[in-house]
Amino acid sequence: MNTLRVVFVGGLTSYRALFNWISPWIFIPHTLGYPIFEILFFAYLGRFAGVQSDQFFLIGNAFLAIAVTGMFGMGHATAGERRSQTLAALLASPANRFAVFLGRALPSILTGCFVATTSFTICAAILGVHVRLSSLPGLALATVAAAFSCTALGLCLGALGLRGRNVSVFADVITGCMLIVSGANVPLHLLPEWVQKISSGIPLTHGIEAARTIADGASISTASDLLLKEFAIGGVYLVIGLAMLRFFEFEGRRTASLETF
Amino acid sequence: MIAAILTGVRLHMKQASRNPFDLSGVIVWPILYASIAYYLLNAKDNPKLLLSASLGAAVMIMWSLVVIASSGALEQQRWQGTLELVVAAPTPLTAVIGPVCVAGALVGIYAIGATLLWGALLFDVPVSIEHPLAFAVALPACALAVGMLGLIMAATFVLYRASFHLGIATQYPVWIVTGLLVPLSLLPGFVRPISWLLAPTWGFRGLQEAALGGTPWADIGMCLVLSAVYLAIGGTCLIAFEYVARARGSLRLT
Repeated sequence: MNTLRVVFVGGLTSYRALFNWISPWIFIPHTLGYPIFEILFFAYLGRFAGVQSDQFFLIGNAFLAIAVTGMFGMGHATAGERRSQTLAALLASPANRFAVFLGRALPSILTGCFVATTSFTICAAILGVHVRLSSLPGLALATVAAAFSCTALGLCLGALGLRGRNVSVFADVITGCMLIVSGANVPLHLLPEWVQKISSGIPLTHGIEAARTIADGASISTASDLLLKEFAIGGVYLVIGLAMLRFFEFEGRRTASLETF
Repeated sequence: MIAAILTGVRLHMKQASRNPFDLSGVIVWPILYASIAYYLLNAKDNPKLLLSASLGAAVMIMWSLVVIASSGALEQQRWQGTLELVVAAPTPLTAVIGPVCVAGALVGIYAIGATLLWGALLFDVPVSIEHPLAFAVALPACALAVGMLGLIMAATFVLYRASFHLGIATQYPVWIVTGLLVPLSLLPGFVRPISWLLAPTWGFRGLQEAALGGTPWADIGMCLVLSAVYLAIGGTCLIAFEYVARARGSLRLT
């Protein structure tokens, strides 16, 4: 019960603190504007290249919005504490670490899902992409799967934040690599074989593929294999992330490097 | 004042080049965008198109660096509590912020080197510059113009503490309307006049024309003209916004 309290009350408090820092009138255009223009940029690039449909880029980049918030939400949870010099005090508390950081990331993840859905809807209208109503539950499920797996990867990045000072830059580079490796903007069959192997082991790839399959008219059961893979990959990264969190906290205490800049 | 500007540019260039981890972002991002363009365009029989995509991706990152440098610099000064000292100093704020923007754009020249090398090594993009002299002139002209556009952005950042996020949000819109990877002919008609007002359009054209064998000098001239115009607008805005921030007592905003 206490863990749940830490997750939800802690998360709500940090989210309120975010809005104390940034006005919703800036936050909303920023969070919505970026993915909308990203989708349009790649959709027009696709039209210029004559490769794939607008729907291909629409789904790929809407899912990237989820990845960004999931990874940055978790990654920045530790980096933000370090920057405001509250990390040591936080880790001195008896609260469950995973609950503390998940609480900070959860609102970001929900925001990410909202942003992805909204930007998908707006860009679908601009680009003239039509998605069947019957596909929406499947797309929602793929969204949840991708959010889960990306957050799990974000936990690994957040754990690195206990040790390194440049986690945001690292998360930024990983997000950039996902533009290609996850198949969001480049069809996987065009990539070299070794990149395809990496693609199959990272979050988002199977989620995007499942969403595209469902948007093409397939049922959830047809895409269930892909969805299960996405959840399974998320589970693996979650376990790795928890182990890293424990290890780097121990190392940070041992070497007194928690607040090192 | 000129000494302050030159020292500022040199200092911020050195700072930006010091951290290899930060620099990796400068190199990785343009490579990623160029790679996406190479894979999608799949134009092995049209190497000029690939070279053009390399340059476009590099100018994209140049703009990003300017935005991040100008907004990030102000945000950092706010966090460190030194913004008031910078504003109170007798050196005009334009001479402090301008070099940050120009240095950010100059670091973008690394991005041009990285994309050209990446394209040549992995995608067989021929790096043959038709007019080397014009290309050598176009590079700093493009950096100066893009940097000065950043100065106008930086002026608004004086007023808003969420400046970094506002800056980041302008990346894709500017990439789209300046036709760096997507030709303007594919975009709605109203975009073209907007592109004429933005430095990356002319900077990219100058580099493209110099590399592919066209007439780059008019585009380079436009870069210089726009730089002067941006400096006048940005300098005036900075003075006005600084006055407003002082009057409201809102400089620190943390």
